[in-house]
Amino acid sequence: MIQMEKNIVSFSNNTVTKDLPVQINAEDVNIYYGDNHAVKHVNLPIHEKSITALIGPSGCGKSTFIRTINRMNDLIPAARCEGTISYKDVNILNPKVDVVQLRKEIGMVFQQPNPFPKSISENIQLPLRFAGVRNKKTLKEVTEDCLQQVGLWDEVKDRLDRSATSLSGGQQQRLCIARALALKPDVILLDEPTSALDPVSSAKIEELLLQLKNDYTIVIVTHNMQQAARIADYTAFFYQGELIEFGKTRTLFTNPEKKSTSDYISGRFG
Amino acid sequence: MKIGKVAMDPATATASKSKLINEKGLFWRLTDRTSESRGKVLIYSSAILMIVAVTAITLFLTIQGLRSFVVDHLNFWTFITGTQWYPDRAQNPSFGAFPFIFGSMAVTFLAALIATPIAIGTAIFMAELAKKWGTKVMQPIIEILVGIPSVVYGLIGLSLIVPFMRVHFGGSGFNLLAGAIVVGIMILPTVASIAADSIRAVPDSLRQASYAIGATKWQTIWRVVIPAAGSSLVTAIVLGMSRAFGEALAVQMVIGNVVTLPKSIFDPSATLTTIITLSMGHTTTGSILNDALWSLGFILLLISYVFIVIIRFLSRRRNA
Repeated sequence: MIQMEKNIVSFSNNTVTKDLPVQINAEDVNIYYGDNHAVKHVNLPIHEKSITALIGPSGCGKSTFIRTINRMNDLIPAARCEGTISYKDVNILNPKVDVVQLRKEIGMVFQQPNPFPKSISENIQLPLRFAGVRNKKTLKEVTEDCLQQVGLWDEVKDRLDRSATSLSGGQQQRLCIARALALKPDVILLDEPTSALDPVSSAKIEELLLQLKNDYTIVIVTHNMQQAARIADYTAFFYQGELIEFGKTRTLFTNPEKKSTSDYISGRFG
Repeated sequence: MKIGKVAMDPATATASKSKLINEKGLFWRLTDRTSESRGKVLIYSSAILMIVAVTAITLFLTIQGLRSFVVDHLNFWTFITGTQWYPDRAQNPSFGAFPFIFGSMAVTFLAALIATPIAIGTAIFMAELAKKWGTKVMQPIIEILVGIPSVVYGLIGLSLIVPFMRVHFGGSGFNLLAGAIVVGIMILPTVASIAADSIRAVPDSLRQASYAIGATKWQTIWRVVIPAAGSSLVTAIVLGMSRAFGEALAVQMVIGNVVTLPKSIFDPSATLTTIITLSMGHTTTGSILNDALWSLGFILLLISYVFIVIIRFLSRRRNA
């Protein structure tokens, strides 16, 4: 175990010493795709202004779970959720929840960078326009502010009118993060945001997430255990639809309680 | 066997050569079942036939179409801008084709104006709102509509739209607008079905991106999906327009077929195609009128090519 710690991880960034308040709390969440029971009885607290990583092998339900937090699974007709995910004293899974407002407060970034085939500035301004912001000055300010936050401003400030698809993959993904920040959400969900990127771009995104966690609650799904170890304050290990183990990242990686957790993080399967 | 020596040994060299190098003649290559040339020849000849056909039509129409200017010494400029079409007048016959060019253009653009909003709306309904119903019910219905012969559309126009026009807007009821409505309805399924395909081709990741930033369904469709489908939608409309432009029969049945320039959309009119189909039978080959009709056909072809160039341009911009 000691050797493993040396091999995979440096925990230098995991700064949380005492637990911050829980912002989102999942209780006994079950998700079905038709007859397929994809997520089983998951209880998971998500602490505010910290990074929670969901790890586990493919098909373990981690992406399904994260997509339930902002109800993106509503778009899949066969998907069905049970249980409670409380956020601001509201159960997110309640059918009466205004999903449009929910997604304004809980933003999401996807695996493949998906900027709109519009200009760079329009990409950031579209969420604001959707929310009814018309003031040109505000739009401009938010554009600059969001691009600054993701470290893209200096790279693109001279070509804000150029198409977003002309950017590199890593830049596109940072633009997508900037777009998610435009509405100043409380929570940002990231579904394997670096798995389509090269190592340098991935490192930039990781660095960025560590900065963003000062202002936002971040939940990230990742295939990359080192990534979880590097940036996450809390890690949840999913396996076959169940949440096997949840805890502080350092504890989970150095001293896992369950055998399957230690098998997975030591690379015995996955 | 030592590989190094193979090339040195003359006997082995010829033996391997006879298997690897095909020295059989052209006849073998075209008759032997195992030869690849047969398929090649078949495919190439179909492609060449196609090219020859297009070139031949263009050349033939160009030569015939230019006769009226070269042989009959009509002025090209007065031909396309003149508004007086009196080819049969014994004294000073005149060939001004502008009313027909204008008629064709007017019918085409009005038809597009009528068809576009309905077609795009249908496409959005099929591809975004009622996906299952859209593909199971709407798609077959639209395919049936595409397959209905144009004379049927003409008949419906004749028995419904023309009387309606007569009652509500006066005159005979045969007019430009009636023609545009009939053609508009005719091209509607074509435009709708291509537009639905282009909306379906918009990647789902963009819709997800849009929903994830708190967009409503309407905002997603209007601000993300439609702009992303953009140039394909325009292609659908231009394709519909090129079909409208070439339509003769249905238009002829309702447009009134007069050779004067219409003053409003409620005036009877004529188009390039209708004047050709109506007059061609009454002319003798080599007469000036016959040549002039060929020239109309030539102009029709040129404008159709313009439509094709526009479509190519749009689809290239989309792929870039």
